[in-house]
Amino acid sequence: MSADSHNAAESSGSAAQVTTQAQQQRADAIAGFTFVGPALLVLVVFLILPLLVAFYFSFTNWSGTRPLDRPDAYEVVGFKNYQRWVIDGRRVDDFYRAVRNTVYYVLGVVPVQTVIALLLAVIVNQRWLRGKSFYRTAFYFPSITSSIVVSFIFLFLFSAGGPINAVLSLLSPYYEAVAWTTNNDGVLHLLLETVGITEATAGVWVETEIMDLEIWDWIAGPSVAMSTIMALAIWTTSGTLMVIYLSALQGIPSSVYEAAEVDGASNWAQFRHITLPLLKPTTFFVVTLGLIGTFQVFDQIYVLQNDQTGRTTTSVAYLVYATAFESSSPNLAEASAIAIVLFVIIFAATVLQRRFVGGDRAED
Amino acid sequence: MKISRILGLLVVCAMALSLVGVVAAQDMVTLRVWTGSSSPVENEFKEGQIAAFEEANPGIDVELLISPDYGTQIRAGFASGDYAEVFTVGQFDFPQWQYDGLLAPGSMYIEAQDDIYAGLRAAFTADGELYCAPKDFSTLALLYNIDAFEAAGVDLPDMNWTWDDMAAAAAAMTNDDRVGFSAAADKFRWMALFYANGGEVFEMDGAVAIDSDAGVEALAFYQSFIKNGTGDQPSNLNAGWNGEAFGQGSAAMTIEGNWAIGYLNDTFPETNWGVAEIPVAPNGGRGTLTFTECWAVSSRAEGEVAEAAWALVNFLTGEGEHGGHAVAAAGFGVMPARAQFADLWSETVGEEYAAFVTGASYATAPIFPLGFGDFDAAVNEATSLVMALEEDPADALGEAADVAREILAEME
Repeated sequence: MSADSHNAAESSGSAAQVTTQAQQQRADAIAGFTFVGPALLVLVVFLILPLLVAFYFSFTNWSGTRPLDRPDAYEVVGFKNYQRWVIDGRRVDDFYRAVRNTVYYVLGVVPVQTVIALLLAVIVNQRWLRGKSFYRTAFYFPSITSSIVVSFIFLFLFSAGGPINAVLSLLSPYYEAVAWTTNNDGVLHLLLETVGITEATAGVWVETEIMDLEIWDWIAGPSVAMSTIMALAIWTTSGTLMVIYLSALQGIPSSVYEAAEVDGASNWAQFRHITLPLLKPTTFFVVTLGLIGTFQVFDQIYVLQNDQTGRTTTSVAYLVYATAFESSSPNLAEASAIAIVLFVIIFAATVLQRRFVGGDRAED
Repeated sequence: MKISRILGLLVVCAMALSLVGVVAAQDMVTLRVWTGSSSPVENEFKEGQIAAFEEANPGIDVELLISPDYGTQIRAGFASGDYAEVFTVGQFDFPQWQYDGLLAPGSMYIEAQDDIYAGLRAAFTADGELYCAPKDFSTLALLYNIDAFEAAGVDLPDMNWTWDDMAAAAAAMTNDDRVGFSAAADKFRWMALFYANGGEVFEMDGAVAIDSDAGVEALAFYQSFIKNGTGDQPSNLNAGWNGEAFGQGSAAMTIEGNWAIGYLNDTFPETNWGVAEIPVAPNGGRGTLTFTECWAVSSRAEGEVAEAAWALVNFLTGEGEHGGHAVAAAGFGVMPARAQFADLWSETVGEEYAAFVTGASYATAPIFPLGFGDFDAAVNEATSLVMALEEDPADALGEAADVAREILAEME
């Protein structure tokens, strides 16, 4: 439809106007889809389709190497892969151990990195701070460095004879060097031990197995090696989240603070009653990003994992990779099944978090 | 008008040219060759081999792809059914790839098979058929620090060294600055002792035997260094792997492969070290592990393409000057897969490293059969638990063996 007839229709009667409105809407819709089309296409081809394909293959026994154009490439085996890894099969303990490691990782990293990011953002946002752009760059720098490179640097820093141990032993003559990257002892186990509780003294009930893993193993907490990886993750991600917080902070109008100052609100009260509530949508966003990112942790684990710490540092995402590519019997179908379960876990965690933090309602 | 005419002429010319191209290409056989990237020196070596082949065979055009992420590359190719005619296969990938029907049988094509070490042939044989031609290999041997031995007044290891000699030497050389032996928690280290001790993962009749006395003794001996404080894991020696711990002098001995030669000489040129065969087991047995890779032909190659592909494989691995001979003469870590070039390799690399190639005659490729991935994982776990002193060798291996028995029962 040309622009001329469009104008003519607009100036005519109401019945005609209804049709033009409908036409206008359709034109808008076409324009809208044209604009989002390329992005949508990319999303469907590279995200939705692979997801569906992975879902399908999780019900087969495809090794990942047999050509798909062969008639005997794979068979559909139903829930066998899920049963094997998640319900009562032989790999259940490996799976839930990875789940335990990942959950401790998430619980440790997300709150800490969120709080640090907020603190950094508030500091960098202060009017009295000089050389702001320097600090902004400095805090953001770890995020733009390759995580593989950063992991190797951490490996060096935390090695048995590395700088961290050297500094600590300088500070305290009683300090005994810790093999940070290879120590499998759970942090909670170590804490319990200081008050005299060990597996032997805790009572028989800790030996009860839930999902093929003893309760005592469930409550181990992240191992020392895992804690090192967590520290690394916090250090690298806080910068990115800081930038998000910073832009939100700068979006809060200064008039609000001025009004509060006139009312005699202290700095702390301003932070508590103005900054925090107005940042709630951002916090929701940051926590969601953090949750999804940490549940999928892979590259740091890939670098920092070694023969000795496999049991306490393997994450679910790493397990997916190992099952598909590193095993002597590679199995893409089983890896897909684990990936789908990981997807369900992340989805559930995000929904729960939405319930508790309530992202949408904060905007009212 | 004029322009469109010129354009039209151009199009016709282009079509004619491409037609000529097609006609010319029909006489050429094109081979895609895929392999993984290792050191720059080795990549250059492979490129040189291919160039020599193309020169010798003008009718064959080789498209060589050296991929830094070879595993992903070739798997994507397999999945789509569109992959190279000639490619490399690692020993641990072989059972699965052979089972998936990706490899063409090679018994009929691979030249002078008797000259290839038996342990390597076994790694790439399924149902009596040799599928692909081993290109080179590595073995494990005992590395020892000569200065540490002399300082402690211990005789240097020779070919008759036993486990007891090794334990005594480790104890004699352990002091505040170093331990006697660097023992990584890796099944592909202690299993060298396991095979030396007459161990078998599976007996002839298929019964699981990793938890046999031979197995428990070998793992217990490997663990004893940690238990007695005469050895430690490399991570506790401030090192990433055995080679580093050994090179920097925090361990006087370790078990490593010939890949350590270049590393040690480049990174720790000051370290004065030697190599001996894996010590003789109490029962007098010898053994070591081998790690190898081969050149395979795609099961989808047919007719003259398949012929050209096998010609290339024999060129790269055979008796000619660009095959095993070239590998031996190149002088980097890996050893030629053919026994006739063993002496040449020792001459090139140095007679002091001959123990690696001596081991080839009794080496075993530690490959777990297909479907035993869980067992593989269980042996890893058993190894790490034993080396962390959390479990004793008999229990740990017993649990791992039970996994294998369970798998066997399910297969029936």
